[in-house]
Amino acid sequence: MKKKLTPYSIEKKQVRWGFLFTVPCLVFFAVFSFYPIISAFLTSLTNRDAIRRTYDFIGFQNYTYLFTQSNGGFSLLNSLKATAIFTVGTFVPMVVVSLILAVLIMQLRKPGHSKMFELAYYTPAVLSSVVAATIWMILFQPTGLFNQISNFVMHTSGKDYQWLTNNSMLRASTIIVYFWKYIGYFTILFITGLASIPPTIYEAAIVDGSSRWHTFWKITLPLLKPTVVLVSIMAMLQCLKTFSTQYMFVQGGTAREPIDVITMNIYYTGVVNRRLGRSSAMSIILFLIMLCFTYLQFSTQKGGDDVEY
Amino acid sequence: MNNNKFVGKVGVGEILTYVVLILVLVFTVMPLLFMVTAAFMDAKQIMAMPYSWIPSKEYFTTESRTFFTNFQKAIVGNHNDHIFFRNLWNSLIVAFTCALTTVLLASLCGYGLAKFNFKGKTVVFMAIMSTMMIPFEAIMIPLYLVASKLKIINTIPGLIIPFLVSAFGVFQMRQYLITFPSEYLDAARVDGLTEFGIYARIVLPNSTPVIATLGILSFRNQWDNLLWPLLCSQAEKMKTIPLYISKFAEEKQTDEGALMACALLASIPMFILFFSLSKYFLGGAAVYESRKG
Repeated sequence: MKKKLTPYSIEKKQVRWGFLFTVPCLVFFAVFSFYPIISAFLTSLTNRDAIRRTYDFIGFQNYTYLFTQSNGGFSLLNSLKATAIFTVGTFVPMVVVSLILAVLIMQLRKPGHSKMFELAYYTPAVLSSVVAATIWMILFQPTGLFNQISNFVMHTSGKDYQWLTNNSMLRASTIIVYFWKYIGYFTILFITGLASIPPTIYEAAIVDGSSRWHTFWKITLPLLKPTVVLVSIMAMLQCLKTFSTQYMFVQGGTAREPIDVITMNIYYTGVVNRRLGRSSAMSIILFLIMLCFTYLQFSTQKGGDDVEY
Repeated sequence: MNNNKFVGKVGVGEILTYVVLILVLVFTVMPLLFMVTAAFMDAKQIMAMPYSWIPSKEYFTTESRTFFTNFQKAIVGNHNDHIFFRNLWNSLIVAFTCALTTVLLASLCGYGLAKFNFKGKTVVFMAIMSTMMIPFEAIMIPLYLVASKLKIINTIPGLIIPFLVSAFGVFQMRQYLITFPSEYLDAARVDGLTEFGIYARIVLPNSTPVIATLGILSFRNQWDNLLWPLLCSQAEKMKTIPLYISKFAEEKQTDEGALMACALLASIPMFILFFSLSKYFLGGAAVYESRKG
């Protein structure tokens, strides 16, 4: 990747310019990324709250507290569970379905049709999450449209599926909202990946008498593997950080406990209940989780570079 | 669903493909249509079973004027203070400024990292990349403390400053500019352009596709941002649109028509942007993918 620059007599001057160009960003990230995360870590070792001016160093007590106590009914363990359910429940179907949709769209012979599907699938992604959650809150009402559709699809009549009142259904509801909003986005990512596979490979496969089904499993999927891995991890990281949907649901009056994802617990503990130390400890835990997955992303990406067309 | 899509006779496979695609299309478009139609109805019709999809005619008569009252309520807001447009304006300003600064700072930094060999370049690059692992949710409280020290809480700069540039943007610009032919830059140097002049006159104009996608991405992220305004803007006047809708939804839970009118109004700027620049929205993925190459 790295290109060697040809040496110049004025090289030194240029080098200074190159460094100067990066300085604004470096300063920015130092103040708005590195300082806050270090500060969050230091705060997580104290019993600081937003009201008292003084606070003491208490070591890792916040962490032990979080893993053993209930934190006012909304424990970290519950949050980890809620986040895990949401993340797995969202990103697995999302990656699978968007991959299928991308393959199907690529099969269409009329470019106008593919464009139309791409546009229609992508449109929910331009709405803000708040708007998406607001629309779906109404659709999920007992007499709302989604119950009517569910009744139609499941051949039941007048059944209330309790989208917002039953705990597991509530979890499913947040997953549906997220799935709806981002399915088009991930479909487009896969379409781009598919488009980068040279058509000559497919032509060769057809000449060799490979069926389309066979071609998909033996050619498309292996060549697409780096994209699949990349998109999966990206989707996973995004799901881990989900906040707006759950926040809107809780503001709208649903139960908090089943969808109390970790970001929401940070928000409530730190901002609403003003326990800065404890919420910082949760922040650090979230950071560590993200760190693991990002490491995974980079390590798989290295392997992914082996694929050559 | 089954193998037919891929092996079946062309005719059957194609029909099945369309059936699946159209079913998903119905799923993605249905809630949008619901928002648009419900914005013109009153709560009673929205919650009626089955949903009627077409607002009844009586809503458009001069007596009831439901279509009008919904939008009026949405604009008037919770406290009759007409802050909708003020908040919309805040959102637009914040999103636009962040898009602009992200593009400028990220391209400058990306150019420096892509085309210059200075000491510690790898360290700088790795340091910037590592910030991608820090979720905003984890640093919002320290950021709030920083912002209150800088006295930018409840101000537009306060909403903008934490998002001036993103590590992802720097990364994208660097990946794009690495493939930029160095000969052009050398030619410009020979012609006597300053280093900054080369950036402004050669590099920037030649990166329009990646700049457009990056700008749009950043605009959309800020347009969608709820968490930071939730902390940073406590004054009604300083709120942004997601926050406005969130507060409005809290208060008007049973007035679904007004709620949908509010959601629709708030989405119009983004729809205009999307349908006029859809090439760059859909191409955003393309730039993202190019990082592999």
